[in-house]
Amino acid sequence: MPTLSFKRITSAWIITILVLFVLAISFGITMRFNQGRDIDISPVTFYSLMTVHGLTMIGIWAVAGMAAVNYLLARYVKVSTSLNVFAFVLTVVGVVILWVVGFIGKFHAGWTFLYPLPFRVAWEEWATLWFLIGLTVLGVGWLVWSVGMIMQILKKYTLGQSFAWQHFTKKHDVAVETPPFILITMVSIIGILISLITAVILLVLFYAEYFSNGTFTNDPLLMKNLTYFFGHTIANEALYLGLATLYELLPEVSGRPKFKTTWYVAVGWNCTMVFVLTAFFHHLYMDFVQPYGFQLVGQFASYFASIPSAAVTIVSVIVLIYGNKIKWSLTNILFFLGLVGWIIGGVGALIDATISNNIILHNTLWVPAHFHTYNVMGNVLFSLAFFVWAANQFAGTDSKNISKAQLVKLSILVIGGFGFVLMFYIAGAYSVPRRYALYPEEFTSAAILASAGAWFALAYLIAILLLLGNIVSKCLKVFSSSQPSPLSH
Amino acid sequence: MKEHMFILTLFLVLAVIIAGVFTFVYRSSVGNKEDNGIKNPTGKRFIFFLLFTGAMVILLFITIPKSPYYAFANDAPAKVIHVSAMQYMFMMSSQAIDPNNPSMEPDITVPVDKVVEFRVTSSDVTHGFGIYNDKAELITQTQAMPGYVNRLRFKFTKPGNYNILCLEYCGAGHAVMRSSFTVN
Amino acid sequence: MFKSIFFFTTLTSLTLSTPLFGQTLPTAGDIYNFSEESKVYTKMIDIPLNTMEGNFHLSDLYAQKPIIMALVFTRCTGICSPFLLQLHDHLRSLDNKRKFSVLVVSFDPKDSLSEMQSLAARFQLQNNKQWIFATTPQIDSLKTAIDFYPTWDSTTAQFDHEALLVGINENGYIGKKLLGMRDERALLSLIKEINNEFVFSYPLPAKNTIFSCFTYDPATGKKKPSLGLLILLLPAIITLSLLLWLGSRKPKLN
Ligand code: HEM
Ligand SMILES: [Cu+2]
Repeated sequence: MPTLSFKRITSAWIITILVLFVLAISFGITMRFNQGRDIDISPVTFYSLMTVHGLTMIGIWAVAGMAAVNYLLARYVKVSTSLNVFAFVLTVVGVVILWVVGFIGKFHAGWTFLYPLPFRVAWEEWATLWFLIGLTVLGVGWLVWSVGMIMQILKKYTLGQSFAWQHFTKKHDVAVETPPFILITMVSIIGILISLITAVILLVLFYAEYFSNGTFTNDPLLMKNLTYFFGHTIANEALYLGLATLYELLPEVSGRPKFKTTWYVAVGWNCTMVFVLTAFFHHLYMDFVQPYGFQLVGQFASYFASIPSAAVTIVSVIVLIYGNKIKWSLTNILFFLGLVGWIIGGVGALIDATISNNIILHNTLWVPAHFHTYNVMGNVLFSLAFFVWAANQFAGTDSKNISKAQLVKLSILVIGGFGFVLMFYIAGAYSVPRRYALYPEEFTSAAILASAGAWFALAYLIAILLLLGNIVSKCLKVFSSSQPSPLSH
Repeated sequence: MKEHMFILTLFLVLAVIIAGVFTFVYRSSVGNKEDNGIKNPTGKRFIFFLLFTGAMVILLFITIPKSPYYAFANDAPAKVIHVSAMQYMFMMSSQAIDPNNPSMEPDITVPVDKVVEFRVTSSDVTHGFGIYNDKAELITQTQAMPGYVNRLRFKFTKPGNYNILCLEYCGAGHAVMRSSFTVN
Repeated sequence: MFKSIFFFTTLTSLTLSTPLFGQTLPTAGDIYNFSEESKVYTKMIDIPLNTMEGNFHLSDLYAQKPIIMALVFTRCTGICSPFLLQLHDHLRSLDNKRKFSVLVVSFDPKDSLSEMQSLAARFQLQNNKQWIFATTPQIDSLKTAIDFYPTWDSTTAQFDHEALLVGINENGYIGKKLLGMRDERALLSLIKEINNEFVFSYPLPAKNTIFSCFTYDPATGKKKPSLGLLILLLPAIITLSLLLWLGSRKPKLN
């Protein structure tokens, strides 16, 4: 069971993430209204907002997953509060640096800061270096955190057990059972670790060029591969962390028996761990310079990475729920909705990960369409589900059956969220480019779609605000001196 | 446009099916007094897996051969256009372009129904080279990366004015980075 | 209307709000050698050639087979010899299913045919049908046709020049040029190009990028995965070793 200080730090994560989320959504809505010509901001402001929005969103939902699994990990292994606090402090420092760089330094190279754009200084001179420093701070914090959690797991499970290798046979009597939660957490954190090490290498290459005074230049192709290896992997693993919490909590809050690690769950997630590492090649389909073999690997890996994780999870959840007596509360509804969003976004992703489609979809709004789907309506909901559950734990309240009021809020969330991404999909299919501060005139419907998207997003934001109050007030309870008595259940 | 609409329709249909299935699953679980779930899931699970994997394999076999890299590989291009992208413009010429001494032709014309080759590179950051027809539909593209030359071959079947838009974020002027050429 | 306002506001706000300070970073023109691209896809002029086999025109040659043309001068103490040696090596180790002949032309007006012949003999190529050593009376028009301008350095009594290969296809068009000492892969793409096989992308010769995905090791003549590919694999390798190290310690019994 987590200690009080562990609850406090988790609470701090939740509140910080939600506050940053609301701000980052507002930046997103601002961008979309600008594209809809409802408001008028300068391109530099637009792209600074875009850079900060992307970095913040990717960052907070990655750490939301990390904080959630760290909290749940306490059920199985000994966890460290100071490690968690360390990561929290570095995250806050890193985010502050990046926001200063973005808003005061006007840095706007996009969240992917594709080489050599950060060196084409079109902002305050100090901003490029401080951008790299901000990322380094985050990288170090999360790297230490990931390694720390892996070590905690490996103190109890052997390497093989942590990957559930003993479950590969169909025999049922294994000596040590690896819960799905441990398996998926391990797989995801390994992925996070690999992506963070990639980020470190990328940063080192950036620093090397920055300080070489023109004597050293990088290879743009290698840098782009590293960028997407890092970016794609961290975004995907963040989702898998969300799934880990789903595997752990969904049956529990639904009043169903826990998920078991069967051979196909074990094999599936091990495969995912490998496949997902090469799927990032799909970001370079339109770089004809990329070795042809990598392009094919990109499409194969993108297709096959989806089989184990998605198919296993879909089947497991349907079997869990279909026709059974389920106690629906806010938590499991959020998980359930998140799963739907994740799968729909995944379909959008697979369509784009097909080379022959990519030629007319690459860098159109189809891209933000699909990744917003599995984030806005997928991973965010997984994390919110955890937040709701944790807040109840902190406050000592029970999760109640879903109420009419909550259903209304959720409906606004669903309409707002899917409406927002639908406008991206339509525009994307009609070839409207992504990352355009304003759309050229020939895209006659782009501005209208943008405007509609912004209004839908506003509805989504309102639903989030309505849900947020309850979570935050319960989370704040752990900081008050009068603590609820330990729970009996 | 057929392709563009097909993609959107395909996606929407799949999305609705997925939403439908999960709504159905959800409704089947509301108000039950006892469990009436799937009795013997193992076999059904296996079939689902098989179908899923089979679908993926079939899709791979259908789509991989349509990859664009070797398009018109066996044709000799009737016209070659060199493209050097830079913040925030495209330099185009039928001669090679030296960024230290740039020269560009103001009006580029390429023949209709013949293979045309664009040799695309960049002289600063990475850009995208997206070709749009007069209905603002993206018809083909490649990336413009410094230090590398990408050769994009295409056969334009309709005469008219075509636009080129930048399709890789390259800085604050990204949205105004464009050019055009004529097919006749 | 909208468009022009849009243009105007964007451009003015760009210039006003983007102070382009200090740090002069190298431009692509400084990093990469773009002159490799010049004259590609233009038709070669039909220069007369003098060879041991007789006098004929370039067109007589490419009409039979595509040509890899190498430019040298016989008194060269610099790059010419290693350049030809490397070319010879590479051609031997590449599988030669594709057809081409190799034309070595002197760009030094002082070179005589017999001097070219002895150059051939130095590489034991005088009897090799695939290799043709030639001089031409039209050096200047040749230089213009391929954009190649060696400069005479009177202190060293040498031409200052880069290694250059020009690939000419059967129709007499320049398919590809290769500047500098290049690896087998680049040569292969030249050979493919003049045999009308499509090479959909290629790198420009870079002046000082050290991390590219494959590099050529002149010592062994083998292509080996270089730093670039290694860097891409590094994260996985580090993680794996970390895991093995952490996992090698016995967990506490549960
Ligand atoms: C309803 C909430 C949100 C709104 C209104 C919103 C809006 C936007 C908009 C307008 C863009 C620019 C699209 C373009 O023209 O290319 C964007 C980009 C982006 N968004 Fe969101 N977004 C939201 C939620 C999220 C979430 C939850 C994530 C989580 C990962 C996210 C991650 C990103 C990223 C990574 C980018 C790309 C930034 C870049 O191109 O550098 N967004 N968002
Ligand atoms: Cu651009």
